Amino acid sequence: MPPIINEEKCTRCGICVDLCPQDVFFGSEEKKTPQIAYPEECWHCNACVLDCPALGAIRLRTPIPMLLCHR
Amino acid sequence: METKNMAEEIIETDVLVIGGGPAGLMAAINAGEQGANVVLVDKANTQRSGSGATGNDHFRAYIPEFHGSDMDPIVKEIAQSQAGWTRPMSFVRTWMEKSFEIVKMWDSWGIPMKYNGKWEFAGHTFPGRPFTALKYSGKDQKPILTKEAKKRGVKIINRVAAFELISDGRIHGAVGVHARDDKIYTFLARAVILSTGGCVRLYPGPTPGWMFNRADSPHTTGDGRAMAYRAGAELINMEMPMRWAGPKYFARCGKATWVGVLRDPNDKPVGPFVTKPDRLYGDPISDSYKEVFEDYTKTGKGPVYMDCRGISEEDYEYMIHWMKHEGLHSIVNHLKEERIDLKKNPVEFMTYEMTTRGGVYFNENGETSMEGLYAAGDEYFGGISAASTFGWIAGGNAASFIAGKSAPDAGAGKAGATAVKSLVEEIRNRKNGASWQEFNVALQQVMYDYAGIPRSDTLLKAGFSHLLKVKQKAYKEMRANNQHELIHCLEVFNLLSVAEIIFAAVSERKETREKFTRIDYPYKNPVFNDKILICKKGDNGPVTEWRELKG
Repeated sequence: MPPIINEEKCTRCGICVDLCPQDVFFGSEEKKTPQIAYPEECWHCNACVLDCPALGAIRLRTPIPMLLCHR
Repeated sequence: METKNMAEEIIETDVLVIGGGPAGLMAAINAGEQGANVVLVDKANTQRSGSGATGNDHFRAYIPEFHGSDMDPIVKEIAQSQAGWTRPMSFVRTWMEKSFEIVKMWDSWGIPMKYNGKWEFAGHTFPGRPFTALKYSGKDQKPILTKEAKKRGVKIINRVAAFELISDGRIHGAVGVHARDDKIYTFLARAVILSTGGCVRLYPGPTPGWMFNRADSPHTTGDGRAMAYRAGAELINMEMPMRWAGPKYFARCGKATWVGVLRDPNDKPVGPFVTKPDRLYGDPISDSYKEVFEDYTKTGKGPVYMDCRGISEEDYEYMIHWMKHEGLHSIVNHLKEERIDLKKNPVEFMTYEMTTRGGVYFNENGETSMEGLYAAGDEYFGGISAASTFGWIAGGNAASFIAGKSAPDAGAGKAGATAVKSLVEEIRNRKNGASWQEFNVALQQVMYDYAGIPRSDTLLKAGFSHLLKVKQKAYKEMRANNQHELIHCLEVFNLLSVAEIIFAAVSERKETREKFTRIDYPYKNPVFNDKILICKKGDNGPVTEWRELKG
């Protein structure tokens, strides 16, 4: 479930925790890897990915019910 | 379980802005520029909160260099396509007159309003009609507007959800609850501006089991409408439904950014406007007929696809470029990950759920029916351009309003804070009870079944009675394990207020008009022509009143 954090790349700067509009990182502690407390509340706005200073440290996974239908 | 007691803080200011989207930030910027002390409170973080969090790419505007010196055709087009008959012409005229000034301001602050050095108009347009939607690079609109607000001394308080206005006929401020800490805030202010955005999570979304899969930000829950209503301010046309459309099942606004043709499974276009992908128009059938996807599915003719096949390489790059400014980053990433190639793969579109088009009544000065209370933006639908324009106007007028006004009533503030404190402490300290999700789901099913597509007197009566039972239980039984859940509980109370108003307004409009339908009154009633439906709090729930649309 979204988002997914790469602990090796994450610098624990807390920017995603600070910015997330849905506060999916609620309860995260400073200088620790963000805790994803409410993944099902992610809106996939991508703010955490856009504003993350460490490339590849965070990504969003599309939940299965949201797969696009196409042909 | 330990007992939770909320800490308290009192903050006094001239102007309080509730909600930090384009409307609220522009209001705060202008009020700050006029020399007022401004506090802006946002339940998330103004850098990335709300439906415009990571961008928008269409801005309705009249640009003299592009349109020529005659503004009238643009005003007319906006009135017909956007404001409909619910806004007086004076409102639309003010909007368009001011839009160019706002565009220039944004551009000077670093939100690029030109594309390759030129004014670029595309999308949301019907061939043969005037262009009104300016393409702009809005990806970083929120951090930029936040910076501009801070430059003017605006004090931004993030992660605090305002929940009740403090008023006794005149406004004195608002009470808010912290979204992370056990804390209540009393904001004492001479003027308050509501700008909390739209009403999501009122009806079941595309994926009922996945409540936050929404076209607009699921964090916008009609808070401003609910607060205004409970404080006694007037709301307008809450019965009018609004629906969006977009990709199935990845709910997201921004369909006008797609460059393709909407086609049925036999590749036949479902609308008459375009037959091949055209970057100037997209496919505007979904602007005038958002239900086309639902109707095709219901009648077995669907699904309907957004078909970008045949798009030129240049137009494809153009589309992807703008998707990244319209906040569709996750869709672009998803297409890449799933190897969906829009040049080859038509993507299914759907009609999303209903919400209300109506909202807090405010005029072209941003004034509501209550002295000292202003509103802007999607408190009453308008989109980004209307939000920023009327936010700016509301901020300026609020700053003028406070001159010579006496200090807000601290006693009223204390009473307001005590009431909110006791409500939230009860929710936090309740050992047994039901979660906010149970109540939100219960609310959504009532809205869908009784105030949804089939609307009639008997259904509305039965639904309203059930809604009141749910509401009663919510106040007695809803519980939260932490502040995060508590904010969701408060959102549910707000949605319940909005739901009540919708039931009252839908019951009152005994006719069928445009997108509003009543199966027991399947005709337009000319008596309601040029009238608006006002709803406000009465002694026993919402009361309605028909009023002439003037101006």
